[in-house]
Amino acid sequence: MTDCGQADRLSAYYDGEIPEPERAALEAHIRGCPLCAVEMARLQRLSRLIGSTGRMEMSPQALERLHQSFDLQPRIALLHMAEVFASVAASILIVSGVWLWMISTANEAAGQIPVWETVAVAPQDPSGAAAQEQLAQWIIQDLSRKNGHD
Amino acid sequence: MATESDRWQPTDVELVNQTRAGDHSAFHELMDRHAPTLFALAVALSGHAADAEDIVQETFAGAFRGLGAFQGRATVKTWLTRILIRQTARHHRAARKRKTTLVSLTETSHSDAWRPSPQSAADARMDVTAAIKTLGPEHQEVVLLREIQGLSYEEMAEILEIPRGTVESRLFRARRELQKRLKEYLD
Repeated sequence: MTDCGQADRLSAYYDGEIPEPERAALEAHIRGCPLCAVEMARLQRLSRLIGSTGRMEMSPQALERLHQSFDLQPRIALLHMAEVFASVAASILIVSGVWLWMISTANEAAGQIPVWETVAVAPQDPSGAAAQEQLAQWIIQDLSRKNGHD
Repeated sequence: MATESDRWQPTDVELVNQTRAGDHSAFHELMDRHAPTLFALAVALSGHAADAEDIVQETFAGAFRGLGAFQGRATVKTWLTRILIRQTARHHRAARKRKTTLVSLTETSHSDAWRPSPQSAADARMDVTAAIKTLGPEHQEVVLLREIQGLSYEEMAEILEIPRGTVESRLFRARRELQKRLKEYLD
């Protein structure tokens, strides 16, 4: 850590993340600033320290276990696929069942003749015709009595 | 005469495409390339080698499942690192739920009682790990992504979904804090 005003840019400069125009100016500054030069050296030592001690290598056995875990993946994927297919098949069965039930219900409903149709197409009541004939007989008899035919 | 290094090596993206086409050996090649650095990052983030191994396995399993979603806009390394960061966060959440009476290593290292004691390489490793653990999670991530994964600021910004300037300022603060904590190793 340095008290120099450029200190907050040194971390990014060290990482090579300063764009070129500013980079050149910063380089010139570091060459003339002992505080920043020390800070750069400390950043380098910190990186080496983390890189050498903070990094744990993966053992060959762990890498092998990783490969083995992947080899199980296709089987797991197949199981997942089987589950998906089973779910889809069950859904199709349910939907088909409901659909068939709805169709049969609709057909049954179509088989019943609506009341209006029954009324509309029903033949005239024969008792109505008889009643009209009876009425005609009564009229004839009544006229005959009035004319003194009795 | 052609040497081993002269032989054509497929790029990461080519390996991804080969895996999509059904060539599983290509995915094994991706594992060989990236698992070691991902493991180192997972150890540093989780603090436990056993957890790190699980996290790396879950990372590759997730990557394999998500192969269809990989569009090649990011590098394969960035893509895998992003998955690993999420898997690590998931592990942390699960571990927090499990942790009721156990005092974890992480908890100990977060305490203010920590002091560096440079005596041996093993001590140095513990001190560096503990010093990193004293940082907040956001500062830990940028330090480890930079120092262990060697990612650029742009890549870190993409993985962490934060602006590039935030990556720069977090890294600056994290390093300043580590310099204080590890003064005995750096002077």
